[in-house]
Amino acid sequence: MKSHRLGEFEEVVMLTVGILYNDAYGVSIKKEIENRLSRKVSVGALQTALKRLEDKGYLNSHDGEGTQERAGRPKRYFEITAHGKAALEYTRSTRNTLWDAIPKIALDVKFNG
Amino acid sequence: MNPENTPPHFILRFFKWFCHPDMHPYIEGDLLELYDERIALSGKKKADRQFIVDVLLLFRPDIIKPLEGFKRLNNYGMLKNYFKVSFRNILKYKTFSFINISGLAIAMSVCMLIMLMLADQKSYDNFHEKKDRIYRILMHPVEQSTYATSPYPTSVTLKNEYPIIEDATRLRRGFGGDAKYKETYAELQGYFTSPSFFNIFSYKLEQGDPKTALSQPNSIVISKDKAIQLFGYEDPLGKSIEYFDRGLNEFTSEGEQAKNWGSFTITGVFAEKDYKSHLEFDVLVSESSLELLYKEDKIADLTNEWTDMYRTYNYVLVNNNVDIDQINAAAQELANAVFKEDNHLKDAQFIAQPLSKIRPGPALGNAPTTGLPMFVYYILGVLAAVIMFSACLNYTNLSIARAITRAKEIGVRKVNGASRSNLIMQFLSESIITALLALVLANILLLFLKSAFLSLWVNQFLNFDLEGGYAVYFIFIGFAILIGLIAGSFPAFKLSSYKPIKALKNVNEISKDRLGLSKLGMRKALGVFQFVISLLFIVTSILLFNQFKYYMQFQYKFNPQNVVNINLQSNDFDKVKTAMSSIEGVSYISACAYLPVSGRNDNVSLNKFEGKDEDAIATVNLSTDDNFINTLEINLIAGKNLPAGAGAENFIIVNESVVKSFGYNNPHEIIGEPFRVGNDEVQVVGVIEDFPFHLLFTGRNTSPLLLRHNKDAINYASVKITATNRSEIVEQLEQKWKSIDPIHPIKYEFYEDTLSNNNQGIFDIVSIIGFLSFLAITIACLGLLGMAIYTTERRTKEVGIRKVLGANELNLTLLLSKEFLIILGIAVLISAPLSYFLNNLWLQFLVYKAPFGFTTVLTGVLVLLVLGLVTIAPQTFRISRQNPTDSLRSE
Repeated sequence: MKSHRLGEFEEVVMLTVGILYNDAYGVSIKKEIENRLSRKVSVGALQTALKRLEDKGYLNSHDGEGTQERAGRPKRYFEITAHGKAALEYTRSTRNTLWDAIPKIALDVKFNG
Repeated sequence: MNPENTPPHFILRFFKWFCHPDMHPYIEGDLLELYDERIALSGKKKADRQFIVDVLLLFRPDIIKPLEGFKRLNNYGMLKNYFKVSFRNILKYKTFSFINISGLAIAMSVCMLIMLMLADQKSYDNFHEKKDRIYRILMHPVEQSTYATSPYPTSVTLKNEYPIIEDATRLRRGFGGDAKYKETYAELQGYFTSPSFFNIFSYKLEQGDPKTALSQPNSIVISKDKAIQLFGYEDPLGKSIEYFDRGLNEFTSEGEQAKNWGSFTITGVFAEKDYKSHLEFDVLVSESSLELLYKEDKIADLTNEWTDMYRTYNYVLVNNNVDIDQINAAAQELANAVFKEDNHLKDAQFIAQPLSKIRPGPALGNAPTTGLPMFVYYILGVLAAVIMFSACLNYTNLSIARAITRAKEIGVRKVNGASRSNLIMQFLSESIITALLALVLANILLLFLKSAFLSLWVNQFLNFDLEGGYAVYFIFIGFAILIGLIAGSFPAFKLSSYKPIKALKNVNEISKDRLGLSKLGMRKALGVFQFVISLLFIVTSILLFNQFKYYMQFQYKFNPQNVVNINLQSNDFDKVKTAMSSIEGVSYISACAYLPVSGRNDNVSLNKFEGKDEDAIATVNLSTDDNFINTLEINLIAGKNLPAGAGAENFIIVNESVVKSFGYNNPHEIIGEPFRVGNDEVQVVGVIEDFPFHLLFTGRNTSPLLLRHNKDAINYASVKITATNRSEIVEQLEQKWKSIDPIHPIKYEFYEDTLSNNNQGIFDIVSIIGFLSFLAITIACLGLLGMAIYTTERRTKEVGIRKVLGANELNLTLLLSKEFLIILGIAVLISAPLSYFLNNLWLQFLVYKAPFGFTTVLTGVLVLLVLGLVTIAPQTFRISRQNPTDSLRSE
């Protein structure tokens, strides 16, 4: 693959899937993001992101058990693929490179004018 | 899961319907899990709502199932095939598609223009928050027209007596004049109204409190631009202005003598915003100011006046859930109560008019602003519908004609298992695609049409801007689909009824009976109909144009040339006259209250001095001076001119109609006779020739007229100047004016221009009808062209054989053209007498009319025939001149 570009939300979803490890399915991912980042996540946005990530090959999925509160509908568990890991690492390293390139003075803002 | 705690069933169904089946069970599981938790957390209602929001947010491209190929593969494939075949058909028969699409597009653009006009009108008064509950009270004094105005106490009385009315306000006309602040002047026009105005209507104030702005006497709320004009950059609030009333209103620009009404305080400034409303004003003045003006006798006291129905607009705000019948019942009860003693008005009605029905609405007397009345839209709508119908006929006609070509396709489809409904679907999708393509073209045409329409003369009074907004474009798409359905339905039902065996076995058999339509059948009838309509349009537009030309060249029996009419704007006539008569090139200056043939006529009753009351006749009273008949070069046929100087108002000049009305045989007999004008005794000194006094198109003949001195009524100075150096003289007139009245810019117009402007409205009608007839004939010719191309192509072989057997080109051309010539002939036979008859229906109401007869109709017929022949001749010539070897060589 030529690039490992990830959107901001996609990155958040990937990382959350990583955090949850063996327990990453729709509702749990949604809650984890909402708790950790205190932002609202709609089912629609999340499912779209998951589908795209899966289509790109960053995520894998397998069926889980159906429970009573899900009216027997199966859960779909996600896990990060090797390719997905590479994408995450790529994103992280580009960020780091950019951070390192910022001269100290630019961030050292003083308000003494 | 508790079965009672399930989300709304239809939402689940909807979700299942659109969701990609691969993902559906997982996402639904997630949704249900969340739903369960939310019920525990915040109850079913909230959970339901959240669930709906979630599902709606899931409605996005990645989650919606793809259009083609999941489970109902066959269906999608077929629909796709329909579209493919439609497009191929459109591309394959480029000429026919061009004819269909352009015809439909032309007609659609006209319909769309009318929709835009209606949408424009509908956007009036949309900014009022309580607009659904606001009603205007109209007055309908029996037998006369309905007025937008009603008696002054109406709305407030309604509010006091009927609890269904929450609030009421009224706008009293009669505030128009000059405001003065320090040395700055501004012309203001507005209404007296109550503080409730701001409760009912949603005008916003930039400065000032809407609750109190109109409660104190002599308070004024002013518009932003007038505030800037008067105060510049100073803060207007609380400033005091001196006000001089000149009796200006929304109908006249002729002021009266300026009267000082004292000082007014600015208590509010309207927020600068585009208020699109049927009301227009610069200022609102507190109603309580009227008390003072009554006391000083400066304005008529209408507080308890029920018979003056001309000066107040009444508005009520009703409670929620009150319907119009209840308001009308209340208003009628009130009308019965107040008018029961009055002989003239005892059957008068009050009518409630919802705010949304004012624009577009019925034509009303005293309406505060002009809008096209509803019936004009009906007329335009009918005309556009006729054109649209004609364009749809083209489509129908060409589709049926092409049926033979498509018979095989239909047969094969049927053999392969297509049901009739499938085929209908296919043909309809084809027509809808055609209509949608036409819509694209129509939108482009609409751009031109819109700018042409906006530049019409009449639009300066109607103020259309034709900015439709999104909603209109959705309507357009719906409209295009509807047109597709209408145009396509007949061919769809007809063609799909083919028997496959017949269609496949012998194509010619079908062509013989052409789907059961006989040779002189439907197709020809449709063609004839189109040309009948076209000829009607053509003859009418020629006639209208003749009428317009006739009015423009009309000889008025007075000489309007080189007469400049100056609106005095409340200045003293004598002052103006003295100043201007010194200019070289000015020969006469005369005064009048209003101009002949301007649409205004003030009536007065005229009678012989000793005559009985019932012998009095209504006579147009024109206040003038002794120079009037000289300025306009009116023929004096007996007696002498009006005298000048003191006591001049005791003499009148009458016209011939008056002489005849009172039974004199000779105009000389009336000279010196004593008459009564109203209650004044006067003497006739002269008789002038009858000249047209009313607007030419009103259909009114010259009525009795009298000229009389009346210094107080003078509004215009008419200046007769030499034909040479006109612009220099006018420049000097302007300079003199500035020395007399530095405040108001001069308002003048050449009389010739005024008279020809009267006819601009007719020219607009000529343009519109002419344009429509152009469209009608274009569409009809397009249809004819399509038929000609098709028929001639199908007969190429026949022509080849005939040629081999010895037919010459002329014979063949005639043979091929015969069918179309018959259509044109029948159309002319029907339409020529019809157009003569229909146009005479309206023409008979006119007094001054251009000649209409054989020649006009003949011109129309010639135009039609020439266009029709030009359309078909190239096709028939082409085929009949073809070398038979080319057409017969290959099978």
